[in-house]
Amino acid sequence: MSDIKIGVVSCSGEECFGGTISRLATRKVLEDLRLGEAVTICLPLFIAGGEEERNFAKVYPTVAVDGCSKLCAMRATEKYSGKVNAVVKVDEIIGKEKALEKVVSLRELPSDYMELVDKVAQEICKEMDKISSDILKKQAEEELKNSGECSGGCCCCGCK
Amino acid sequence: MSKVVVIPCSGMGKVYGLLAREAANKVVNELKKDEAETKCLAYIVTGDDEIRDYMNGKKCITIDGCPKMCAAKNAREAGAEVVEELKSTDFAKQMRAMKPGTATYLNEEGWQVVDAIAEKITTIIDEMEGK
Repeated sequence: MSDIKIGVVSCSGEECFGGTISRLATRKVLEDLRLGEAVTICLPLFIAGGEEERNFAKVYPTVAVDGCSKLCAMRATEKYSGKVNAVVKVDEIIGKEKALEKVVSLRELPSDYMELVDKVAQEICKEMDKISSDILKKQAEEELKNSGECSGGCCCCGCK
Repeated sequence: MSKVVVIPCSGMGKVYGLLAREAANKVVNELKKDEAETKCLAYIVTGDDEIRDYMNGKKCITIDGCPKMCAAKNAREAGAEVVEELKSTDFAKQMRAMKPGTATYLNEEGWQVVDAIAEKITTIIDEMEGK
């Protein structure tokens, strides 16, 4: 398990099915697929909370998960907290029509909902892994640079 | 009378956010379809002109799952008139629902809390309409 904690901010949209899938996929990442590696914050806390909450996206590399093309999670995070590193667009994964369907109770979820949740959760993990890998690569490059050693690749920079 | 906007916090981290979300859902899609509606709280948070114009002066009932009161604060910030601020934690306490589920799924105890919150909102809307 990586020591890098990554923030996942979901839209949780109350008006469309895409919001339900965003929420469930984010929960699956938090409590199952990336337990201990993913952290979250309630999006409305950017306004209702304090400085600590507004620093979330400055402290953690962040993935926004949005249920529809309004991209509220991404836009609100960037407006009040900081730039996000990636956006998972649920409507592009499950289809626009499906994402915009009426929200239903957890008691009435369609039979294929778990498949959709899994697809979105996998996409969140993929983005998290990419962010971790980029950070680790950057750290390694900096360590090499500080030690004056070469990475072994041909960089033509003159290092030995 | 225009529809009452029911806004839950939907908090991602705790079961109380999910209780709020499901209660709002029950009201707008089942119990008070013609009298109530909901709007995405995340959309309200963006502060877009379109949603601010829509919310301005609208009568709202908010349901929050923690003392930060995100739904109530954000609805007010958007210009809505919050006529009632409910807390799902109060309902769970009153009903002695110690373990209503998780932030992902509710158990039977949790669904009973959802029903109680939804019933309360229905009563509030009836009173607003003078029923």
